[in-house]
Amino acid sequence: MRTAKLTGQVVALAAVAGLLGLLVWRLTHESHPPKVGGPAPAFSALNLRGEGKLALSSLRGKAVVVNFFQSYCVPCKTEASALQQAYTQYRKDGVVFVGVDYWDSIAEGRKFVDRHGVTYPVVRDPGGTVADRYGVTGTPETFFIDRRGRLVGAHILGPINQGSNKSLFRESLAVAAKRS
Amino acid sequence: MRAAAFAAVVVAALVATASAFGACAQPKVSLAKLEGEVMCPICHTTLDQSNSLAAQQIEQFISVRIARCESEAQIKSDLVENYGTVILAAPPRRGFDLLAWWLPLGGISAAALLVGFGAWRWRRARAAEVEPEEELDPETERRLDDLLAHYE
Repeated sequence: MRTAKLTGQVVALAAVAGLLGLLVWRLTHESHPPKVGGPAPAFSALNLRGEGKLALSSLRGKAVVVNFFQSYCVPCKTEASALQQAYTQYRKDGVVFVGVDYWDSIAEGRKFVDRHGVTYPVVRDPGGTVADRYGVTGTPETFFIDRRGRLVGAHILGPINQGSNKSLFRESLAVAAKRS
Repeated sequence: MRAAAFAAVVVAALVATASAFGACAQPKVSLAKLEGEVMCPICHTTLDQSNSLAAQQIEQFISVRIARCESEAQIKSDLVENYGTVILAAPPRRGFDLLAWWLPLGGISAAALLVGFGAWRWRRARAAEVEPEEELDPETERRLDDLLAHYE
């Protein structure tokens, strides 16, 4: 009788420990926006337009603007031409733009970049893994990475060409592109 | 003669157009079924619960494939290729996600075992509580029979 009671207690304790373990796992794997000043989360993702992958590490030494978007997101359409224009303007200063199309159909993503004349590299993130690492909660969202691979400036939520985001974009880009 | 030739050309064109754009005669799966099994990733609901642009795009994606007579498995595989596993309402039956399938079964089995064990222990305890009837020794039984014989 005592053995049965002891077994029951051990089973109950194991169940509680298992559930606590799951809770801890969930909390530690929740996406949090990376800290400004810290290293930008690394990624390597498939190119949207064709074969091959683009790794963020291959862009070390350049300032990088990472823009998360989806083809069905209306504010993404609003900012698309402004982003392309900014890329054309700043690329000569060694600034690279990278679009990350996440949770999206490949065909629709391609149509989106063609329709808006996007010429900078665009990668796809079907499972939202990269978006998760950056703590993206909606689209569009834009991050800035300096030449040493650190996140700098603002984390812009919404179109870069609307309201206060316009000045935030310019200032953050200037910080990222600065040569130290 | 000319009218007949013209009519033949029109019919041929219509047939060609219909076969190019026509729907699958016997679809292998319905949109309504998949709408309940496919998620709108940004709304965190199944497609049938959402009217967002994302949900509409995914419904369109599915409709095109249903019209091509693709099977449910093919469509789901295409969806995962494009949107990742988050697109499926039910988690995949492999890796860590397998836990989502086995944990409830394990929980139900453990609960059934516990209930069974509890019931068994309870029955044993009750059986122990009920004392067995004591049998009379032969002498007392004989005397009792004699006494009862007086009243018969």
